[in-house]
Formats: sequence, structure tokens, C-alpha cells
Amino acid sequence: MPNELKKIMLIDDNEIDLKINARIITLTKLFEEIIICQSGEESLDYLNKHMDNPEKLPNFILLDIQMPEMDGFDYLDHYKQLPATFTGSCPVAMLSSTLDFGDIKKAEANVYVVKLLKKPLMPMELAELINKKAP
Amino acid sequence: MSFQSIKVLYIDDEENNLQAFKASFRRLYEIYTAISAADGLKILESVNIHVVIADQKMPNITGVEFFKSIAETFPDPIRILLTGYTDIEALADAINHGDIYRYVTKPWNDLELHNSIKNAYDAYRSKIDLRNKIAELEKTNDELNRFIYSISHELRAPLVSVIGIVNLVKMENLYHSSGEYWSLIESCSNKLDYYIQKTLQYYKNNKTQSEESNVDFKLLVADLINLYAYANKDTQFDVNVDQPVPFKGDLFRIEVILGNLISNAIKYQKTNEPNKKVNIEIAVSIECVEINITDNGVGILNEHLEKIFTQFFRSKDHHGSGLGLFIVKEALNKINGRISVKSNIDYGTTFKITIPNAK
Repeated sequence: MPNELKKIMLIDDNEIDLKINARIITLTKLFEEIIICQSGEESLDYLNKHMDNPEKLPNFILLDIQMPEMDGFDYLDHYKQLPATFTGSCPVAMLSSTLDFGDIKKAEANVYVVKLLKKPLMPMELAELINKKAP
Repeated sequence: MSFQSIKVLYIDDEENNLQAFKASFRRLYEIYTAISAADGLKILESVNIHVVIADQKMPNITGVEFFKSIAETFPDPIRILLTGYTDIEALADAINHGDIYRYVTKPWNDLELHNSIKNAYDAYRSKIDLRNKIAELEKTNDELNRFIYSISHELRAPLVSVIGIVNLVKMENLYHSSGEYWSLIESCSNKLDYYIQKTLQYYKNNKTQSEESNVDFKLLVADLINLYAYANKDTQFDVNVDQPVPFKGDLFRIEVILGNLISNAIKYQKTNEPNKKVNIEIAVSIECVEINITDNGVGILNEHLEKIFTQFFRSKDHHGSGLGLFIVKEALNKINGRISVKSNIDYGTTFKITIPNAK
């Protein structure tokens, strides 16, 4: 497990899923710290606020697709405008209960998205993804 | 009943006829007259005409030719052909090409023409009513489909949270802490999820336009086995793919078809069979692909073979949803595929599928 992977950011409007996924990540010990955001806006505020403070920034983002107002794809449009020094070192995985082919294709076509994971979050799948995509 | 609202256009190159027509019918209908086909066309462009009457014999164009010329641009008005002489050729032409509703001879009999116009208007109304009804039905059907789709999505999100919690319970070693309750919750949740996924598959099969892409059967089958055998590793797969030529087809539906059959082959194994086996033979040719999926599972009773492809059929011994094979059949119908089945309670089941190669 590379040392750089310390912080993961979870973005999801569903409090129960945030709770479940945070607990799964804690149990797997894949990350040291979890930053929880209940919306895309909250995440962008956080990232912009700490952009000059690298130790506050996440190394990995798990992003829900279906969220009110700013959905996962809208979020990615904002995300790509963040400094490349940050986005280049923080991969995004989408996490969704979708079975929609369109969503899956759209997610995997986005250069910032490493994979679309399906809910429920499987610890094995997350671990595989992190080991493979670790910078 | 008043006919005042019926809009009738009469085209004739003889002014006298136009006047006579007006005199006879102006109290009954809203009448428009034109001295030439060109003038008639102008009226059609500006007024929503219900019935068009045209004289057959006009200087530049015959009545039938005129009707032919407006077949595409004004398909709705009902056509009546008037002619002063019995021209069998015009009559044949009118029937074959003009889409003409009635043929009335000149000089006309007022009552006969009146009845023809009345009937023509009824035909016009039923045509329009039918079209509106079809549009309405299509809309309702579409809404219903969309409703099923979004409700399935909405139902699935919290269900997936429940499955996530069960996974957490396992990770925290609490799964056996409450007798068998957690495993019961898990199996109910999985069953519900299966139903929702099948509903979405059914919706997508109904809705999605057929899209042709290259299908690599070796890759596809390997992926599907991986997906469905994930939770059940006891079954041995023997896969032979002979694909010397490219295959073009509807990847989504082929995936649905093979996925359902492979998952059935895994699901309906005999619990006490030590060598659970599934054999998949695929042969691709320029014309089609032939797929044989054979298992040594529980088999299907002869009297059930007829019914397995119908919606919600399930045998009382096995816990299926009654949707899998129904969806297989529906998906095959959409892509002109065929399926047949042979089964024996002692040896198992073979499904044989043929799907045309779209090249």
C-alpha cells in the first residue's frame, strides 16, 4: 500500500450510504482519513479552501452520480477546472447504484474517472482499484 | 346534425358546375370552390379541408393526377372523383393510385353526392380520431415505461444500502450474532434486487433501439461467467468458441440472453451433484451464430417445457422469478433469434439459440 494514499473524500447526498461507506473504508484500513461531503458544492468549497494546503487535500475521491442539483457528472465539469497539479494526483471513482448503460459508458469515457463502482461498495473492488491506480 | 362545419373543396374547370354545386350545398357545408387545380392547391394550403371533390377532366391535369400530386402533402382530406363520362381507365387509375374514396358520375344526383360527402367526412373523422388515439396510446405507453424505469431506480437505491449494511455486518463478524436473521435479510434483499434488475432489463429490451456492434463471443462469455459464477464457484465451465468470422449484432440483447441462460445454468444445479457442469458451444458463421448451453442440472419436466418462456411461469420445486426466460424470449424476438430447449430430469437441459449475423 503506497504511503501517499492517506485521505479519501466521499461525496454522496445519502447520509446512510455515507455512513456505510465510511465504515467499510475504516474497517479495510485503506485510508487514514475520510473527508465526508454531502454534496458536490461542499466538496468544491473544501478543495478550493485548501488548495494551497496539500496535507488537507484528498488523494482519492468516491463520487456518487445521482445527487440533487449538482449531480456527479456536473461535479466533474467543475472538478476539471481545478489546478492540474491536484487533479493529476487525485483519481476519482464514481460510485452508484445505476444499472444504466448510458451512465456507465459516460462515466468510463471521462478522463478523470478511473472506474464506475457499483453500490454496494465492495472492499475488494476498492482495494484492487487503489492498488492498480496508485500514483 | 349540422354539416355546417364540414369544409368541402370542389375543383372543376366549368364555372357553371361550381355555381350549381354551391347552390345545392351551401346550406349544408362550408364550401370552397376552385376553377383549376392550382387554385385548389392554394385553398388546401390555407384552409383545413375535410373533403376534396375534383372533376376528372380538366385542361392541364386530370382529377386523378391532382389527387396523386397531393398524396404526400395533403394526405388527410378524403377524395371524391367526379366525372362526366364513364372512363374505365380513369376509374382503375383512381382506385389504384389516387387513394380515392368515392367515384361519382356527372351530372350528379344531389342526394347521392350529399351522402358521399357525409360518408367521406365520417371517414375523415375516424382517420383523425384513430391517429389521435394512437398518439395518445404511444404517450401513455411511454410514460408507463418511464415510470417503471424510474421507480425501479428509486427502489434500488435504498435496497443497495441495505445490502451494504449486510456486508458491513459480515465484515464486523456480526453475521451470526442474531441466529439466522441476517442471512434471511440478505437472501430477501438479493431476491428483491434480482427482481428489480430483471424489471430494468425488460424495460430496456422493450425500449432500446437495436444497435449493431461487433461481438466477440469468447470475451463476452468469459465476462458473463465471471459475473454470475462469482458467488458460486462449484460449477465447472467448458467453453468452446469457434469464431472464424466477425459477428455483428445487438450486444446489449445478446448479453441479456446469454447472461440469463448462464445464470440459470448455475442456479438450477442439483445440490447433491459432485460434478456440476455447464458446457457452452458457440459456432459463428457468416449467416448466424449457433449457441448451445448444456447443463447437468435439475432438468425441466416435459409438461413444463411449453410454458417456461411465458411471463411469471415457475415450477413449484424451484425458486425462480419467472422472468429470466421470458426476457430471453422477448430479447430474441427483437433481434430475430430463435431458441429451442431439450431437457431430461436425469441428465439436465440444453438450450439451443440461433441469432442472425448482421455482418
